[in-house]
Amino acid sequence: MELLLPLLAAVLIGAGVFLVLSRALIRLILGVSFISYGVNIAILLAGEGERRDAPPLLQLAGPYNDPLPQALILTAIVISFATTALLLVLALRAYQVTGTDHVQELADRPDPVRPPAVYADPEYPSVSPEIGTAADIDEEDGA
Amino acid sequence: MNVLALPVLLPLLGGSVLLLLRRSAVRRAVATAVSTATLLASIAIALRTFHGAVLSVQMAAWAAPFGITLVADGLAGLLLLASNVLALLTVVFAGSSLQHAPVRGGSALLNRARDAFGAQALLQFLFMGVNMSFLTGDLFNLFVAFEVMLVASYGLLLLGGELPQLREGFKYVVINLVASALFVITAGMTYGLVGSLNMADIARRVAAHGPDLRLTVLAALLALVFATKAAVFPLGFWLPNSYPVPPAAVGAFFAAVLTKVGVYALVRTFTLMFPGEHLLPAVLLALGGVSMVVGALGAIARRRWRHAMAFANVASIGYLVAGVFIGTHAGMTAALYYLVNSVAVIFVLFLVAGLAERVGGAGYRKRGHLGLYPWLGAGYFAAALALTGLPPTSGFIGKFGLVRALLAAGGGLRVAVATAAVLTGLLLLYAAMRIWREFFWGEADAVHRVAIPRVMSGVTAAATVLLLSLAVFAGPLYGLCGTVASQLDGNAAYSAAVLVPGAPPREGAH
Repeated sequence: MELLLPLLAAVLIGAGVFLVLSRALIRLILGVSFISYGVNIAILLAGEGERRDAPPLLQLAGPYNDPLPQALILTAIVISFATTALLLVLALRAYQVTGTDHVQELADRPDPVRPPAVYADPEYPSVSPEIGTAADIDEEDGA
Repeated sequence: MNVLALPVLLPLLGGSVLLLLRRSAVRRAVATAVSTATLLASIAIALRTFHGAVLSVQMAAWAAPFGITLVADGLAGLLLLASNVLALLTVVFAGSSLQHAPVRGGSALLNRARDAFGAQALLQFLFMGVNMSFLTGDLFNLFVAFEVMLVASYGLLLLGGELPQLREGFKYVVINLVASALFVITAGMTYGLVGSLNMADIARRVAAHGPDLRLTVLAALLALVFATKAAVFPLGFWLPNSYPVPPAAVGAFFAAVLTKVGVYALVRTFTLMFPGEHLLPAVLLALGGVSMVVGALGAIARRRWRHAMAFANVASIGYLVAGVFIGTHAGMTAALYYLVNSVAVIFVLFLVAGLAERVGGAGYRKRGHLGLYPWLGAGYFAAALALTGLPPTSGFIGKFGLVRALLAAGGGLRVAVATAAVLTGLLLLYAAMRIWREFFWGEADAVHRVAIPRVMSGVTAAATVLLLSLAVFAGPLYGLCGTVASQLDGNAAYSAAVLVPGAPPREGAH
């Protein structure tokens, strides 16, 4: 056990980092989840040495395991659950909007250019407000 | 009910109520009322801390190292006050901007949808996270406060679901999640090694333990996390593209306050918890110098309003981080004054940029807007002077103080950073003047004026007046910063307010 849990945490975090560096959104999300699992095990290990004689409220015989790291993990689990859900929705929405879940293709897609006010005469809209024209792009940097 | 809990509880309750309200006008009124109440509570706290008192409250009366502690010293009071003034302005500005199209000619539907799907509620949760970050006296609660703040900021950044939002939002979320994972693992390791998570208790135990390489590693990990949040140079690559994405008011609050929360946490780490470290502050000082130059160069390179301003924000953070880590009392005083100045400048610049984008599109190379929008030009001029650090603005006073403190402290690194600070001032001047020349100056291309809603221009004017008043009342404010800085030196009052005198530290495994 002494060696197994640190190794497990290391493997999980390593796999998570590897996945986060990949180019598909869904693998990226899995990577973030893996990192948070690894982190939780690491926190559990951090509290391993903290054994105390008696619980603070109950009058029971010790020794018992320190509950604080477990409370920390519980909080971290709740937060990572919520953020993973958010990321999944975000990836789904990105896929719906762009038709791709590839990071590079998402980055290369140009922004829809909004027209400056002078071009957008409400009486005679010469360009679509949401799309703009190629001429507008020259005005802005391509970065 | 202790007043210390109000800046956390009021936005929480307000945000929850806002989720239930269906009429936009009612939401606006409630959000403004809640933010006003929060501001009043912050003023009450700040005024008491400015007299040198350190307020603290133990939740449910659990004694210090065990319970949840809220603490307000001068630094927390100062930041609480600044961020809640901006919070109120943000709420009012957003209340108006959410009724209008992001740009003239665009559709108002997008912003109305943002309003309907809880933009105002998310803003309140954001304020709750920010206030809690400033007030908490516990490392793990700081993590929770960061998460509250970040989750709300994810929502605000993504609300609307447009392509740039999705693309930049994804990067922003993932980077912050990885940084948060590092934060929580560091909190766990701190508990394992030091045996406490209460910051004052950590400080006491670290001081008792003496120098240890493992403690340095903990401090380095915390520095890494907070420097990522603060967008210090090599870790701040996520900022310049993501902060221009949300609506103008939201982006302004993000840029002005959220990065400063990272700086605040860095200050707490190295003045309170790990004051014995010497190498890491020097590294951060150097990185601050690099951030200045990189930010200024980026501001020159970008051709879009808010992208340029976001880089200017990185430069501003550079000054701030460098100032905080000079390591002298004069340096900390100047850094605190610069902090207040930077919060106001960046807020005004982002609001002005938002209005300019509204009337002229995202790119700023459209000449001759001064004749059409003279007051917008005046606001930009005042903020640009303060950004570059020209007299008679507060930016000059802050930067003068920083450079003087750097040179007075001496040493090759500090002199190099001082040189970078002066050089960056010139680069920022070039960046600011180019926007002036290309957007405001020259013959007008535009023929008709686009009306700017009164509330938006009113809020921008109020923020500009606040910025100018920082220069007018520089004397008392600088004195106050000096008081706060001497409180941070040693933090005796902070520890005394948190920890019960005489209670022995709990014995850990070490």
